[in-house]
Amino acid sequence: MKQTTVKTGETTVARREALNETKVWQVFARRKYEEPLHEIGNVMADDVELAKAYARSIYDEFSWIEMVLVPRESIVTVIAS
Amino acid sequence: MTTHTGIDNEALFALLSSLADNKQAVGRRYAYWCNGAPALEAAVAAAAMTQDELGHARTLYPLLEDFVQGQADLVQVEPMTRTLHYHLSALDSDFVGWSDFVATNFLLDTALTVFFAAAQNSTYEPLRQRARKVVQEEHIHFVHGAGWVRRLASAGGAVRKALLDSLQKIWDETLCWFGPTDDLSMQRLYQEGIIDATPDELRSRYLYKIMPVLGSLEIVFPVSFNAPMKTWEVTQPLAWTRWESVGRRWSQK
Repeated sequence: MKQTTVKTGETTVARREALNETKVWQVFARRKYEEPLHEIGNVMADDVELAKAYARSIYDEFSWIEMVLVPRESIVTVIAS
Repeated sequence: MTTHTGIDNEALFALLSSLADNKQAVGRRYAYWCNGAPALEAAVAAAAMTQDELGHARTLYPLLEDFVQGQADLVQVEPMTRTLHYHLSALDSDFVGWSDFVATNFLLDTALTVFFAAAQNSTYEPLRQRARKVVQEEHIHFVHGAGWVRRLASAGGAVRKALLDSLQKIWDETLCWFGPTDDLSMQRLYQEGIIDATPDELRSRYLYKIMPVLGSLEIVFPVSFNAPMKTWEVTQPLAWTRWESVGRRWSQK
């Protein structure tokens, strides 16, 4: 795999860091209408549209009838583990 | 026109060949990045899109043997034996970086999808069936491409510059792919109801799709929106001197 060489003085590492994702989205889905949404995993993406694309490509093992994303930062802990 | 041996339609054969070759080449280029994307999530998405692109190519190549033009040289209807490569010249070489992946995903893949969208009510049934499925699958590709264009453009500095260079690299040739205004193949497909738009209309639909994303990021290309006509137009001549009408691609420099 070729890495891009940067002529402007920035290192590849710096460019990678500039693209580090910071936002985590919890992914919930269900396969049947009578089944409640349940957590199936998470994705990291600062862009919500990218988060949707990631969730669909990563969690494609079933034909979900519904899938939603919840930003982890919006989850309120009631009883901590 | 259908004969007892097959369909005799050089224009349709040429377009199907170009679509199949471009899908095949895009899939192969994507494949190199399935384990090299900047994030694990992006790598999985790249793998999924690779499968989709190669899958689209695999559904198109078998159509070629139904044509008189394909039967004249069966070597050219099999992707494994085919020696003609009617994909964009930009795909002749590897992507130099992730930004090349993103540019191809956003610009070229979207251009091909605009063509498929124009064939969803095609009078040529095999293309109509495939077009609907391709358009459905490509929706998520566009979301991915647009998302990464926003991501790279917003990062600024060298990251944004690399993206701009990658977009610039395939911009003109992608616009050329729809053909000149009087493109014989595209015009014939339009007249026969195989697609529902002329080359200029296809180009306008394409720009209508991508320019809101680029405009919101202050990425400027020589195009403008003609408000009275409600069409997007190219404001700078494209490099038609490099255009090879048979291969629907630029000649190598």
